[in-house]
Amino acid sequence: MRRSQYVDGARWVLVLVSLLLVMFPFYWMLNTSLKPASEIFLSPPTFISSNWSLDAYVTVLTERPFARYFLNSLVVTLGTTVLSVTLAAFAAYGFTRFFPRGATPFVVFLLFTKMLPETLLIIPYFQLMASVGLLNSYLALILAYSSFALPFSVWMLIGFFRSIPRDIDEAAKIDGASYLQTFFLVILPLARPGLVAVTLFTFLIAWNSYLWALVLTTDASMHVLSVGVANMVGEYSVQWNELMAAAVIAAVPVMLLFSFLEKHLVNAITSGAVKG
Amino acid sequence: MRQWQRHRLVGYAFVGPVFLFLCAVVVFPLSHAFWISLHRTRGLATSFSGTDNYQRALTDDAFWHALGVSVQFTGACVALHMLIGLCLALLLNEIRFAKTALRVAFLTPWMVAPAVGATIWLWLLEPQFGVVNYLLGAIGVIDAPLAWLGTPKLAFMSVVAVDVWRGVPFVMLLILAGLQTIPRDQYEAASIDGAGPWQRFRYITLPNLRYLLVVASTLDIINTMRHYDIIGVMTAGGPAGATEVLPVLLYNTAFRGNRFGEAAAIGVLLLLIVLAFAIFHIRLTKPEQGSAP
Amino acid sequence: MRTTKTLAALAVATLCTALGTATAQQPIVLQWQTANLTEKQYEPIWKATIAEFEAANPGIKIEPVLVARKDHWTKFVAAALAKLAPCIVSVDLATAAYNGYLMPIDKYMQAESADFLGAWSPDILGAAKWKGKLYGLPIWGGTYAEVYNRELVIKAGLDPSNPPKTWTEYLAWSKKLTGNGVWATAILGGKTDTTTRLLLTWIWSNGGEAFNADMTEATFAKNPKSLEAIKFYLGLAGKGFAAPAPTTTNYLEQTNLFAQGKIANMRNAYWAVSKVINDNPAMKGNMFVVPIPANVANAPTMSTMTASSISASCPHPEAAWKFIKFDAGKKWSIERARGANWMPLRNDLANEPQVKADPMLAQFVQIGTRARSYPLPSPIWAEIAAGDIVDAVQRALLQPEKTDEIFRDLDARLTKKLRDI
Repeated sequence: MRRSQYVDGARWVLVLVSLLLVMFPFYWMLNTSLKPASEIFLSPPTFISSNWSLDAYVTVLTERPFARYFLNSLVVTLGTTVLSVTLAAFAAYGFTRFFPRGATPFVVFLLFTKMLPETLLIIPYFQLMASVGLLNSYLALILAYSSFALPFSVWMLIGFFRSIPRDIDEAAKIDGASYLQTFFLVILPLARPGLVAVTLFTFLIAWNSYLWALVLTTDASMHVLSVGVANMVGEYSVQWNELMAAAVIAAVPVMLLFSFLEKHLVNAITSGAVKG
Repeated sequence: MRQWQRHRLVGYAFVGPVFLFLCAVVVFPLSHAFWISLHRTRGLATSFSGTDNYQRALTDDAFWHALGVSVQFTGACVALHMLIGLCLALLLNEIRFAKTALRVAFLTPWMVAPAVGATIWLWLLEPQFGVVNYLLGAIGVIDAPLAWLGTPKLAFMSVVAVDVWRGVPFVMLLILAGLQTIPRDQYEAASIDGAGPWQRFRYITLPNLRYLLVVASTLDIINTMRHYDIIGVMTAGGPAGATEVLPVLLYNTAFRGNRFGEAAAIGVLLLLIVLAFAIFHIRLTKPEQGSAP
Repeated sequence: MRTTKTLAALAVATLCTALGTATAQQPIVLQWQTANLTEKQYEPIWKATIAEFEAANPGIKIEPVLVARKDHWTKFVAAALAKLAPCIVSVDLATAAYNGYLMPIDKYMQAESADFLGAWSPDILGAAKWKGKLYGLPIWGGTYAEVYNRELVIKAGLDPSNPPKTWTEYLAWSKKLTGNGVWATAILGGKTDTTTRLLLTWIWSNGGEAFNADMTEATFAKNPKSLEAIKFYLGLAGKGFAAPAPTTTNYLEQTNLFAQGKIANMRNAYWAVSKVINDNPAMKGNMFVVPIPANVANAPTMSTMTASSISASCPHPEAAWKFIKFDAGKKWSIERARGANWMPLRNDLANEPQVKADPMLAQFVQIGTRARSYPLPSPIWAEIAAGDIVDAVQRALLQPEKTDEIFRDLDARLTKKLRDI
């Protein structure tokens, strides 16, 4: 009894210490975003301040079109998620049901596509999008982001679909369902946890991506959040509290989404792809 | 049409969209990069130069230095990701109280954009005004502010630390999920047989997690080798090239040096190296026959 | 099922939004990209510039392209390679011209009146030329001088009206200014080109040269005066007169240190004064500017030059030239000086009341009459200034005993690169 209490206690201590290390940067981000500009360079630095206010947030939201950036990020991210998850689901189903032996080489091919650094891809991609007139469009970003999210999504969904027995397909077919009906009405609902996991993962990748949005959008009204935040780092003056406020604004939606759906994420990995 | 032919066609219909998409959006840029690597580029002026760029890269000290730094960086980061991720997952697995809140809290570094995270750390590690030096000085660990990014060894350790901060959550999540799939009765049976915690870990936990660990570490290696953001923001490859990994060299060659042909050659070489690593790694940790990819 | 229908509806809606952003324009639209559009103090000025220009030229619209400074060149190059670069840009002239990204503007300049042409000295225009052709209209710049914190100087028992003019005097001042948690100055050794800028000012003030006349050879170590200057400057670290961590000190860290009173002097341009006051309003009126100390008579300091250029693929160069001319006009040059502390490069502004009313600006202008232009005219300047030269400086800071060898290596590397253009 006592030993397990010690063990429990030690466990909690380790967890709390790790938590402190992990969360400290965010606490500092929040702290800086709430301070007035004059307090940022104080030495010794202040950890809690009676001067905390939401001024920086107000400035960021009113002086720069952050609401618009937010909307852009949302459209692009949702679009990416929809496209990517759809493609991945179709592909995973196709491979596990029709070409089971092709699944492995396909996953390897997908991995291969991720091995080239982004730097080399943006120039030809820019030219490709320019030639089809898609510059400054949501679609160009959606297509780009979908291409990064696919490898992991397909891998995970393949594992997932594999764990759904073929008998279910057979049963549906006997009942007179077409291929599409089987896919949409029978298999997909069973794969919901996996789809949720893939959705979260794709959302995160698309929400935080910067380099592609930088290069593919020139119109200020098409900027996404990550570009909006980066543009706040001036050379001749950097308003640290406003920059941190902008970063907080950019990070909050993801944190909220994850808080709500975290259960599904863990369930998904648990019941699906892990065992292979 | 025969049944199996129709079956095939439907299969293609399911799998086709992804292939087409990838061809348009990935294969084109990839082949463009290959093609450019065979040219000497000076901005808009290009001329075919065969394997010149490759020869240049392979005989350039900077390339080999960057490769060395990349290997060290990736090795350190992936090893720490897996180790710390495993430890954290084992710890969190046993805790029931505030489970969701804790997990989301530990996931937060992953949720923030890499460049933003790096910028925050840059600020925290600032020698004169950063909080880290202040705290360490206040508790007496150091007696003068350290230049965390100012000397080669410290800078390397700092960027590894930030990458670990950012990368552990994902690994932890995967392993946590994996731990939950291990049937409890295996543990119970082992306890009855008199196995201690370390033996239970070694003979039950690890083998069950094996596939997951292999996949996670492979993906991690691939991602870390092509990683640019954290080092790009924090040290830009300095000081004196101590943190100049291949992606940084590539970016500088492409955009500061305006030598896209050479950069493409470096990129292709990087791709081949990563491919080789991945294959070697998978062979080394090969899961048993009969398992999935 | 419902989920499927919702998903499908969402997909359609997203695609519609995506496709619906096609733009249709009738007037000429010119994109304008400079890294300065994201500078807070410049924002009201450029917005006013655009508004006034569009009002006076109804058929032309100017579309500003906002981009973070560090990614400005990347974005420009990606667009230029697809022949879709913004019409009006401010970029590193030699590099951009060499790579074919810019259009020469000689014919537009020559069509202008003598008055207009006379506002720019041949020296300044010469700095905007590459291989004999003019590629940009110089708009503003910054002259490097020594900016001191008056309070700290007086506290150290020194006389602000008698600043150091030689290196010996500078050393004496440095010794007195260091102490009590304050250092005399900061050495810039971070991974940006400001490191190279400062290094060059020290080399030039000793009568040395970093390159030969036609930029085909590097002489950092070859020229003994250059090497002497490098050792003196970097040696300030070893003597303890410079703030610690020089290898991570860039413009941002330097101005932070100065604004917070941790260093007594900074070698910088007028825009830094504005940043310091912005960071710490108490510094207003607490700074004074003097020429940089030199060991030879008439040593030049450095003046950076920012120019507006027309990109090679611009379909409306005449309209672009109209805007560039407008932006380079007296009114906006003064506005920029007043609001952002960017020094105008026109030579016909000395008698304008706003300029006369700002003594610090007048001092910078005065110091700038004896200055060399930066960046140096080489198409690989961006790469070596923020790459090879910085690497050498960092190595020398980490291993001062190897300074000779490090800079000899640098000479060899640079010479090889310069010959390989």
